[in-house]
Amino acid sequence: MNSPTLHTNTANAQRFGTMISLRKSGVTFANPEGGSRTVLHDIDLDVPAGQFVALVGRSGCGKTTLLNMIAALVEPSSGAIEVRGTSPRDARPHLGFMLARDALLPWRTAQGNVEYGLELRGTDRATRRQVARDWLGRVHLSGSERLWPWQLSQGMRQRVALARTWALDPDVLLMDEPFAALDARTRVSVQQEFLELWQSGPQRTVVFVTHDLGEAIALADRVVLLGEGRILDDVEVDIERPRDLEGVAAHPRYQELYDRFRASI
Amino acid sequence: MSQITASEQSTHRQDDAPPGADVPASSQGRQPRRLRVSRTTLLVRAAQLVLVAVWLVAWDLTARNQWITPVLAKSPKQSWSYLVAAVENGELWSNAQATMLAVVIAWVLASTVGVVVGITLGLLPTFERILAPFLDAANAMPRIALAPFFIVAFGIGVQAKVALASTLVFFIVLSASRAGVRSADAEWLRLSAVLGAKKRHLFWKVMLPVATPAILASLRLGLIYALLGVVGSELIAAEDGLGQLIAEYSSLFRLEAVYAILLLLAGIAVVLNQVMAAIERRLLRWQPPADH
Ligand SMILES: Nc1ncnc2c1ncn2[C@@H]1O[C@H](COP(=O)(O)OP(=O)(O)O)[C@@H](O)[C@H]1O
Ligand SMILES: [Mg+2]
Repeated sequence: MNSPTLHTNTANAQRFGTMISLRKSGVTFANPEGGSRTVLHDIDLDVPAGQFVALVGRSGCGKTTLLNMIAALVEPSSGAIEVRGTSPRDARPHLGFMLARDALLPWRTAQGNVEYGLELRGTDRATRRQVARDWLGRVHLSGSERLWPWQLSQGMRQRVALARTWALDPDVLLMDEPFAALDARTRVSVQQEFLELWQSGPQRTVVFVTHDLGEAIALADRVVLLGEGRILDDVEVDIERPRDLEGVAAHPRYQELYDRFRASI
Repeated sequence: MSQITASEQSTHRQDDAPPGADVPASSQGRQPRRLRVSRTTLLVRAAQLVLVAVWLVAWDLTARNQWITPVLAKSPKQSWSYLVAAVENGELWSNAQATMLAVVIAWVLASTVGVVVGITLGLLPTFERILAPFLDAANAMPRIALAPFFIVAFGIGVQAKVALASTLVFFIVLSASRAGVRSADAEWLRLSAVLGAKKRHLFWKVMLPVATPAILASLRLGLIYALLGVVGSELIAAEDGLGQLIAEYSSLFRLEAVYAILLLLAGIAVVLNQVMAAIERRLLRWQPPADH
């Protein structure tokens, strides 16, 4: 059950083949008492370009650590990791990153927050303005450009974060439980928004950490189960796209996968 | 029943229904809130006026009935006459000018150095650990005790006042900047790093803005402490300044003049505070109002 055959047929896949590749990667943290703790070991994972991978597993099993490794925030203690054919650090200009908390800067307006990543990457002011305005429009926030974060509802804030991520036009999206902090209703609307964005553009590779099994199956092409520091299960979802959240939940494959993973989460 | 549809049914805040339909969290309650604020502001101002009136009457009664030692019992009217005379002969203006000059110099100098040193210490924790006990010790020293030292070292001109006031302002601004620059949220830093932020980006775009509220608050406090330090130094020895006037009139038992000058100082402090508060509000527009 650990060796699925994967197939994608996107343009990205032909260009880059494998977007993310981990070979026998492991992470060991030193703890303050002088000992050490191996959080991940012998992780072998290949993510083809354009694939949407959901990473699920119990809290504390190392999902965030794995994602941080891909984002070059954590160095692997063993093994090798490649992103977009280079080291994770060199691939950073092609990464987008989203967290559970929106991480909006409170001293920037909605517009200013969307511009933040572009600013860091040296985009000129006029382009920044234009791109940010466009993306705020795409997430249905036209007219809210000049509001401060505290004036936005939770869902609006996370949509600003979506716009900020997409404005960078990343090849790879790394998302760490991006919708976990939202209340149930808001979550569904932001998930729908996200799914539409992802399905409408050029297909970007996504690594999506979540502990919500339903969310994982509904959104992803492939679900990877992490536990005890290694990959316990790895399955292709095989539900046709484009999907919409309600349709997916009624699909027989959804229930099948749900039952398969439920025991281990 | 599937996870997602099940969760859809649980009701919660209504502000996120379908995409595009939601409303800024604040836009609804806004108009009435502003009205309420202005009504309470009016009430506050009226109450303050009443307090001032009550206090003036109490002062006047105390003086009139000689409820305290006659030498101290000077009425508001006597203080007012002194004030008018002192304005006319220019004594008040020249001394107030001398005091305020020292205040501004001390405040600008000490704040600048304090912000720079504070931020540096905030960014270099090891360095800070080395210096912390010394800084704490220096800050615990009763600064007025340094006045004789500064007066002997710098004479009775503006330098001695500036030196004493600076030792107060410096530490206030330093500790606020140090703490402020450290209060950056770990997630902002993590996100910024992945988005490609360099060290200088992190400093200018995250750490400095996040420290701004604390720094501004300390500048406001520092301005008042600069005034206290300068007047304190002038009380001990100076060629001019409001503190020096107070010392002189005290020795002549002209308490009505002392009261007048003290009230003037209090008035200056209030105005300075209000000006700083207005600047703060302007620079911190991005913060939610206090009652949010
Ligand atoms: N920087 C670190 N230093 C030491 N231990 C860490 C560090 N980061 C994570 N861990 C530990 O690694 C384990 C996995 O953490 P994490 O990857 O955050 O799990 P998850 O995201 O799956 O909940 C946890 O037990 C956590 O305490
Ligand atoms: Mg995590």
